[in-house]
Amino acid sequence: MNFLNIFDAWTIPLDDWIQAAVDWLVTNYRDEFQTMKLPIEWTLDAVTSLLHGIPPLAMLGLVMLLAWRTAGWKVAIFSTIALTLVGFLGLWGDTMTTLAMVISAVVFCVAVGVPVGILAARSERFASVVRPVLDVMQTTPAFVYLVPVVMLFSIGTVAGVIATIIFSMPPLIRLTSLGIQQVQEDVIEAATAFGSTSRQILWKVQLPLAMPTIMAGLNQTIMLSLSMVVIAALIGAGGLGNPVFRGLNSLNVGLAGIGGLGIVLLAIVLDRITQGLGKPSERRRAR
Amino acid sequence: MIQAENIFKIFGDQPEEALALLREGKSKDEIHELTGQVVGVEDVSFSLERGEIFVIMGLSGSGKSTLLRCVNRLIEPTSGRVLLQTDEGEVDVTALDRNRLREVRKQHMSMVFQRFGLFPHRNVLDNVAYGLEVQGTAVDARREAAGEILDLVGLGGWGSSYPDELSGGMQQRVGLGRALATQAPMLLMDEPFSALDPLIKVDMQDELLRIQEELHRTMLFITHDLDEALRLGSHIAIMEAGRIVQVGEPEEIIVNPRTKYVADFVEHADSTGVITAATVAQPMPGPRFEVISEAGGVAIYARRGFPNLRISVDVAGKLVEIENMGKKAKVEDLDEVLSNPPPELRSQVMALRCRPDATLKELLHGRTHTNLPALVVDGDDHVLGVVGERELVQGILDKRAPVREAPKPNAVERVG
Repeated sequence: MNFLNIFDAWTIPLDDWIQAAVDWLVTNYRDEFQTMKLPIEWTLDAVTSLLHGIPPLAMLGLVMLLAWRTAGWKVAIFSTIALTLVGFLGLWGDTMTTLAMVISAVVFCVAVGVPVGILAARSERFASVVRPVLDVMQTTPAFVYLVPVVMLFSIGTVAGVIATIIFSMPPLIRLTSLGIQQVQEDVIEAATAFGSTSRQILWKVQLPLAMPTIMAGLNQTIMLSLSMVVIAALIGAGGLGNPVFRGLNSLNVGLAGIGGLGIVLLAIVLDRITQGLGKPSERRRAR
Repeated sequence: MIQAENIFKIFGDQPEEALALLREGKSKDEIHELTGQVVGVEDVSFSLERGEIFVIMGLSGSGKSTLLRCVNRLIEPTSGRVLLQTDEGEVDVTALDRNRLREVRKQHMSMVFQRFGLFPHRNVLDNVAYGLEVQGTAVDARREAAGEILDLVGLGGWGSSYPDELSGGMQQRVGLGRALATQAPMLLMDEPFSALDPLIKVDMQDELLRIQEELHRTMLFITHDLDEALRLGSHIAIMEAGRIVQVGEPEEIIVNPRTKYVADFVEHADSTGVITAATVAQPMPGPRFEVISEAGGVAIYARRGFPNLRISVDVAGKLVEIENMGKKAKVEDLDEVLSNPPPELRSQVMALRCRPDATLKELLHGRTHTNLPALVVDGDDHVLGVVGERELVQGILDKRAPVREAPKPNAVERVG
């Protein structure tokens, strides 16, 4: 044995440990994890049936109205044309499924991410715990945690949404925290000098002033969750990832191509609308 | 209204140790070397009367902003007490728990900041209404009250604008309005006008004095600008390296600077609006005057070196008449001349009569109309002294009273 090559001598069996840990979780806590997924499942079901229930033409109208109110008439026209095109490509149903997944994932990202971001901004100790967790969430390749997600939550669209939440939540937490920390010290001091409680400072000063940054985080979260859609198709999630995934399997470039186009168009529409939300001048004019 | 007693503020993690060393008489530099602690405020006490503007003046780094923040505990003083008189009795601000402290900040003290500290996401009206909002006032009531305050600070009609749409001076009007709106009797002003252009600054000082005339709040006003301190303050405290080195009325500071630091400050200040006739006047009777005749109960005085000018007073010291080169001169009130300036300049037949608290500036304006000196008289027309050209010039240049021999009270000097 070449004793200089020390790595041949012994290998840490971390892979076995992870395997054992996940197996142990699955054996003992699968029911709990199945219960945990219930709220996500309900939300997803509700949003999916709502989006599929609205007739396409009415949906186009709604999107146009929303885009016009938040981002102006140019975005409104673009969004309408883009979604009409997607519809005529035969992808309307898949698009609505994907949109439902994105919306459900984002709802949970906001429900968890914004409070966590606020806490991280207020407590340096909490931030020092959260930061490495976020680093792991952002850098771990999605394929790595698809396996335990499937083992714990089974395959399907709900599991896809859970993977999407994990993948896309970090920027919202980071930017919420950043936005609150960026609020000028003298403004906080003024609010304090007038006898505000820390809760009043949070709601009346910090959150409104952090809102553009939080909206930028929301935008990032939406974009990331869309990019997760194709990967989620690997574990049986529906939506626009499906044609891409099927095209890949059968070397059908055309099928994969229109799936990809659908994702890109939906991404641009969502991006422009959420960017419009983050612009304070637009909000002011809209009042 | 409010007293600060022996306030200390030490920055660092072992303030108690530094405090002990300070009480042993160690200097700030020694303490910094020994413990790494920085002494911000050292043993400062002051007290404010209700309705006055008390100015704390010092250069940057003298600890004046720290001291101000110790009063409402935006910065926690290391030691010392702040006592506030309220309608419900005396409150020791430094001993309050968080909730009671918030009540004091809401109801009794508001604050204006150097960099305005406005809320950029709120319009002007809601900025001004912020204090009322925190007090729990209903939306309609607080907006109405804020609207009235906006009129008061000269921003009527700007309520729906946002702070970044306003000029610096207007923004600080919003800051002032926000502080006035809470009806807090005590205002803490942290260099409120220092960030403004010089002309706007003077405007805002006038505005503040006008508002103060109406509202009679008590203000603790921080500035590094002596001219501002002199214009606004009823009392001025001068801070140097964390300590108050002199407290007094503006004129006292100018005329009798107690340390070199204060004297250096005063050197460049415009003192003409502060120094009064009583300070610069040559007292009469006094060593510089001689009595020419005392017939019939009327004493005629002439100033040494100015034989042509004669001032007659009766036994009680009341003014009878003034004569210049044998001609009787008219005596006009300074205030009257200033408000209705006569057409003639440099008159030889008009003399001015002024109160002891007339300022050098007023006397100088009056002087353009006559070559004769001004007589300083009290409320009963008793002549106290005379302000001639020499006293004016000395007052401006030396910022102090004319050199005089120790006056013997009421002694009349007789010659020949």
